[in-house]
Amino acid sequence: MSALSAASQPKLRAGCRLSDSAQQGDVLLIPEGVLRLVGPGKKILERCDGLRNVSEIIRDLQSEFPAVDPARIESEVNTFLERLHQKGVLDIG
Amino acid sequence: MMASGPLSLIAEITHRCPLHCVYCSNPLEMQARQCELPTEIWANVFASAAQLGILQLHLTGGEPLARPDLSELIATARKASLYTNLITSGVGLSEERLAALVEAGLDHIQLSFQDSQEAAANEIAGTRAHALKIELARLIKRQRLAFTMNLVVHRQNLDRLPEMIALAEELAADRLEIAHVQYYGWALRNRDSLLPTRSQWERSLEIITAARKRLEGRMRVDFVGPDYYAKYPKACMGGWGRSVILIDPAGRALPCHAAGVIPGLLFDNVQDRDLRWIWEQSPAFRKFRGEDWMPEPCRSCDRRTQDFGGCRCQAMLLTGDAAATDPVCTLSPMHGVVESITSSFHEVPTARPDWVYRIDPVSAVR
Repeated sequence: MSALSAASQPKLRAGCRLSDSAQQGDVLLIPEGVLRLVGPGKKILERCDGLRNVSEIIRDLQSEFPAVDPARIESEVNTFLERLHQKGVLDIG
Repeated sequence: MMASGPLSLIAEITHRCPLHCVYCSNPLEMQARQCELPTEIWANVFASAAQLGILQLHLTGGEPLARPDLSELIATARKASLYTNLITSGVGLSEERLAALVEAGLDHIQLSFQDSQEAAANEIAGTRAHALKIELARLIKRQRLAFTMNLVVHRQNLDRLPEMIALAEELAADRLEIAHVQYYGWALRNRDSLLPTRSQWERSLEIITAARKRLEGRMRVDFVGPDYYAKYPKACMGGWGRSVILIDPAGRALPCHAAGVIPGLLFDNVQDRDLRWIWEQSPAFRKFRGEDWMPEPCRSCDRRTQDFGGCRCQAMLLTGDAAATDPVCTLSPMHGVVESITSSFHEVPTARPDWVYRIDPVSAVR
């Protein structure tokens, strides 16, 4: 398995998208599945455009949320993207 | 018990199909073409489904491509905010038609394969479709949508599982779904030729576990085991009336594909009743919802919130009582029924099976 690294430029794979359902809130729709996005999930995904790498996504969120511990943001982003990568939801460039 | 909201809608938009698979999940009595719902009623159903909180639509059949309005149906579903998944044999798909479906908003396509070997695949399907499917897989990869390769496995093809997984890799599927045959309808008729031996099943589990690990992050591998060898039953449909609504070609709403085998259940039609009423109030959806209907050992079992007592249709078909514990459960007092079936299969016979092929609904009605 190709590993996710700080230089990876993740984006959602074809057939994976954020829901625009008014009823169900923030969910990621994937083939045969629905992943509920809690906490910073949606904010992270919105930055997964295939251009920014993981380090840049982390820095971006750290500057947008200066009140949050930067180490916590870094670990949350890494954990979240690793979990999505294992589910086969990401192209990691 | 109060109904929680459904998440998925399975739309069997037609029972017509150019394939005759010996394990088809359609009922033995199918709906004919003249009974099929028109485009505008399906569009209303999709809008009602989205309002109920449903997120995903599975367009299936029969062969959904048999409907000329398929791209219109996809467009209306997408407009209603549904994630659309097409479950297809591929017969009836061309490069142009595929592009039109994607343009209409198709998110995911599941292309079924019967085997890795052409002759064996065509024997199961009762038609020559294998070569076309390989061609289509290459066309699908040029489009922006998720691609699942569906493989139904059974005694006749299980020994080629590594080859079949290799085919999925070669065709670069995003996801591989390997499902053991479930014994309802046509598959039940052909059970004697489809049920794997215990050693085949155990070997298949090892192969799939290894493939899953090797392909992680590249290709998702989902697996449905053979009920008859399970220790506990599957959480059929995620529990009766808990997350899925199935609508047949004529508009009848069912809690699952096979529910028609249960005597005494009346299935309301989306042409007569609002989808929300059907979900929340209709007797068929309430019949086995929750735990009130459960017999022992389910009623006091810790697993009742995981498997919901298993499959009602299987209980009906194997014990004659739809409200019995699913007899595949090793805790079921009727488990001997299943054991006596599995214990009679130790070797794979070499004789060519005498298949009962699925027929087309046009010839099924008088």
